Amino acid sequence: MAKGRELKGRIKSVENTRKITRTMEMVATSKMKRAQDRVVAARPYARALADVIASLYAPELAERFPLLRQPAQEARAAVVLLTSNRGLAGAFNANLIKEARALLARLEAAGTAVELHVVGKKGAGYFRYVGRAMQTERADITDRPTAADAASLVDGLMTRFVDGALDAVYVVGSRFNSVLSTPPTAERVLPVQPPAGAAGTKDYLLFPSAEAILTELLPSYVRNAVYRALVETAAAEQAARRTAMKSATDNAGEMLTLLRRTYNRARQAQITQEIAEIVGGASALQG
Amino acid sequence: MLKVSVISPEATLFEGEAPSVTAPAFDGEVGILPQHAPMVTVLGTGELRIGEGTARFQVEGGFLQVVDDVVRVVTEKASRA
Repeated sequence: MAKGRELKGRIKSVENTRKITRTMEMVATSKMKRAQDRVVAARPYARALADVIASLYAPELAERFPLLRQPAQEARAAVVLLTSNRGLAGAFNANLIKEARALLARLEAAGTAVELHVVGKKGAGYFRYVGRAMQTERADITDRPTAADAASLVDGLMTRFVDGALDAVYVVGSRFNSVLSTPPTAERVLPVQPPAGAAGTKDYLLFPSAEAILTELLPSYVRNAVYRALVETAAAEQAARRTAMKSATDNAGEMLTLLRRTYNRARQAQITQEIAEIVGGASALQG
Repeated sequence: MLKVSVISPEATLFEGEAPSVTAPAFDGEVGILPQHAPMVTVLGTGELRIGEGTARFQVEGGFLQVVDDVVRVVTEKASRA
């Protein structure tokens, strides 16, 4: 019955693993719901900002605002990669890293000097492993990012862009279209691409002036783009983890059915054999 | 009546109707009543009052937009006072 005991051990271990993955699935589901709420709650602000900027923006203003400066060529760029601090989320981090590597390759092929800023232990771990220098790496942004996190991430880059030390800033993160669609995307947050739509100034009274308002709003707009990327990536992480853990739980279930069947067959075979031996022994005594 | 909303990056902090809004503009307080002309103004630091004690917020920066009796206060730093 050596095989039976071995099987019993495996059944036990798969059961325990399934307990863990099922719990993680449930935790991820509830975290994802809350993260999704944060994505939705962030929309009115983004819409209000975009509305006002679109109604004030005029192409001739571009030259006067450093944040709107469109450099003729990108000599120096910064790439901010958002990844998660924790694993067990399927291909989530791998996809983001792949997207970032594609962007790095594309920029570097065009002769751009790229500096890399990585958020999250997973991305930092990867680039440390391949030996790519990172300008900054940080793991202090939780799965509930705040507007202050976004500001601390991008404010330094924004200053350097204004000073002309950078020509472009990209953010690589996951979009959160829906629970099932969270594609990794690279978005250029600087220079600012003025939001389209609602063109032509509605006859607003502007205090103190269109320029002063834009000066105030453009940095908010950039910070908000980064905040949105952070929130969406956080939600996408939970969605990816939920999917990964769900399939792990399902696979564990399948495996258990198979193991139990094998175990029962082995047990039955043994009993049959024992009976045959007893019957054989008894008839030998009689004979 | 004015339709008033106070919006921060993380959430909509207030949404409702009020007869008036007093906001801390960059150069002093500005009062909004119904039928106000469309306006966008930069905000300074101070207290935002909605109606007669309906809600109060401490705000810092951001802007206020009025159009067709809809008032939107959009600011990165706002807390209920």
